[in-house]
Amino acid sequence: MKPENQAWDQLFERAASILSPNFADRVLRAARAGVDAAPSMLSQFALGAVTAVICFGAVALFQVRSAQQEDSRTMSDWQQIAMAADDSGLPQ
Amino acid sequence: MDPSSTTALVDLVRRAQRGDESAQREIILNYQHRVAGFVYAMTSRSDSVEDLAQQVFIKMIRALNGLQAPAQFESWLFRLARNTCIDHLRRQKLRRIFLPFAPEHEGVPEPLGAVDTEELDALRYAISQLRPQDRALLALVQEGRSHAEIAETLKTSVAAVKARLHRAREQLRLHYQSDHET
Repeated sequence: MKPENQAWDQLFERAASILSPNFADRVLRAARAGVDAAPSMLSQFALGAVTAVICFGAVALFQVRSAQQEDSRTMSDWQQIAMAADDSGLPQ
Repeated sequence: MDPSSTTALVDLVRRAQRGDESAQREIILNYQHRVAGFVYAMTSRSDSVEDLAQQVFIKMIRALNGLQAPAQFESWLFRLARNTCIDHLRRQKLRRIFLPFAPEHEGVPEPLGAVDTEELDALRYAISQLRPQDRALLALVQEGRSHAEIAETLKTSVAAVKARLHRAREQLRLHYQSDHET
């Protein structure tokens, strides 16, 4: 018998002793309730991807809004300059 | 496995596939200790055994309808267990990348009440030094499964199983002896 064989037996015995007496009922209840102990890798990745898209969209929207506000501010400044030039009779 | 027990298993699996809860319960009771042992061998952590074993059986119940050959149930179940454990180990590895774990956190002791013998400690250390694929291989052998059954579980050839098993055993012995002698 190899020296580690006894340790393997202990490992399996120890693992069996960890499970609670009503383990099977707990599993069936959890399966019925649709409860999965941990989210899958795919669902975590999907959540990360959706979060990244939302963040990117928010930044892009903010950028577009800022550019539009800047454009309209610049336009109104130019209009004021043009009106001031009209009023003062400067050649255009 | 003798033919009569194979027939009984096939019947049990078919009943479970039809949604018979008592059959599902019987399968869990029949395999819970073996799956727990497999999970413990894969993770070397007693505090994750019950949760992971539960995940394996929940996945089993949900995916049972997709099992075409009920006679292959055991190989299929242990493949499910292996994949669940490898996913768990991968998630832990990812978590370690994003969370700044200090070296002392790596060696968090087993929870109270989990006082193991020197041999078991040495084995757990030796197993934890192996790749998850090799841990699965050794756990399946120790579980008493034949090379052909392991090849079926791991979706590989018998020759590949033998070669990998030889290497895994050598490595396990090396780590086991180095820890046991210190």
